[in-house]
Amino acid sequence: MHSRITTCLGALAVVGLVVAPIVTAQDGDIPRTASGRPDLSGTYDVSTLTPMQRPSDLAEKMSLTDEEAAELAETARLRREERNAPSDPNRGAPPQGGDGSAGAAGNVGGYNTFWIDNGTGAFKVDGQWRTSILIDPPDGRYPSRTEANRAAQRAAREARGGGVRRFTNDGTAYWLEAGLDAPGPYDNMEQRPYAERCILTFSSTSGPPMLPALYNNHKRIVQTEDTVMILIEMVHDARIVRMNAEHDPPEIKKWLGDSIGWWEGDTLVVETTNFVDRPAFSQGTGNMKVTERFRLESADSLIYTFTVEDPTVWTAPFTGEYAWPRSPNKVFEYACHEANYALEGIMKGARLLEADFRGEEPEGVVNPTR
Amino acid sequence: MRKQTPVMFKIGMATLALAGLVVTAGVPAGAHHAFGAEFDPNRPVVLRGPVVKVEWVNPHTWIHVEVTGDDGDKMVWMVEGGTPNTLLRRGLSRDTIPVGATIVVDGYQSKDRSARANGRDVTFEDGRKFFMGSSGTGAPRDGRDVTEPE
Repeated sequence: MHSRITTCLGALAVVGLVVAPIVTAQDGDIPRTASGRPDLSGTYDVSTLTPMQRPSDLAEKMSLTDEEAAELAETARLRREERNAPSDPNRGAPPQGGDGSAGAAGNVGGYNTFWIDNGTGAFKVDGQWRTSILIDPPDGRYPSRTEANRAAQRAAREARGGGVRRFTNDGTAYWLEAGLDAPGPYDNMEQRPYAERCILTFSSTSGPPMLPALYNNHKRIVQTEDTVMILIEMVHDARIVRMNAEHDPPEIKKWLGDSIGWWEGDTLVVETTNFVDRPAFSQGTGNMKVTERFRLESADSLIYTFTVEDPTVWTAPFTGEYAWPRSPNKVFEYACHEANYALEGIMKGARLLEADFRGEEPEGVVNPTR
Repeated sequence: MRKQTPVMFKIGMATLALAGLVVTAGVPAGAHHAFGAEFDPNRPVVLRGPVVKVEWVNPHTWIHVEVTGDDGDKMVWMVEGGTPNTLLRRGLSRDTIPVGATIVVDGYQSKDRSARANGRDVTFEDGRKFFMGSSGTGAPRDGRDVTEPE
């Protein structure tokens, strides 16, 4: 109990705010193991509409009133309703040249909203609706990057030809404009992101730090005295936390890092190091250290807190936290390799666009709309 | 993002900024599999025809639809949707998608020029959406939605 209160007060002190009364579970309110530890075992749904970083115009406004939280949820509900409305049955094809979508959808759009499951509102920590997952720095935004890191990013951009058109999707092999032998983003499948290759996590769902995504937001914890397992729905990752153990030697690198854990009062602390050079939390590097804290706020809600340190990337550590409500649902299998036709299509598609660029006019299935 | 009817509502300043993020997070364009790498913006397509098969698989569902060309020839196109887990959690399954039902799909053909497209908007022939599930967990009164009744 004492350490839990200390943790809460510590977090509040960091952000320099005195806020709503702290709600902590009384002994007996939370499930416990035979040895008396809080029993974290169970399934959690971590979906939330609250963003990782706070919108800049909210400055140091850390919390929402009940009315603001209700408005946020209502806005999301209306938007879902709008998107679920019937479409024009006589609609034609979308616009030639793309529909202007951004992000991974890259100018061609994705799919209907009904596939998406990213929550219905903000989350509450200790009785307070939050405006961002990040709570330190106090503006809820990432700390600035080191000068060396910025310089390395600039150099990498220049090395790949300026990168101005790198992420555009205009339906051409634009990378060949620099020469028919110029390197491109689809030369080798190992250049493609982990998600496309079904290797590891999307949006740092496995992390660490473990973050919410557009869907498949369920986690399952199985806890024993010497090991804690965290099963991540997206994408079939199982994190193994060795309790009261030492880290592996630093030369042993792992996709999910090397996680060891211990109890501080009723809080499970997990420290992870030994990451591969490009960890699931893609902003970080192999030099990253992540410290996570799991505490049961009540029988039905776990508060997940994380601190990320990587002095080769950021000028300061940063901390975030959000609620993991227990869920009656199960974690479903997400065997991403099962029918990942996308990667094959991406690689072959790039070859055809390159043939187009060379003026070869390769054939394909006739598009009935063109 | 496709053109949509604007929704009017009263909203506080603080929430407005957050609402902007909700919009971003919830656009129908939310695809992780780099649809921008997979599909060709210069090959827009609209497909009409009966569903012949549903591949209820990871990482993405594929709906097979039979399209009859102007010359009377039939060709089966594959339409890429989202993860089946989301719908399964809401009690829906591949059997919810009726084989034989005529559907309308708009999207973009894949860059590999096979008979594949993204299911940018998949509806029945009268324009109704396939599924109307809320984007919640499906669990009643799970405390996540502040607008739900006590």
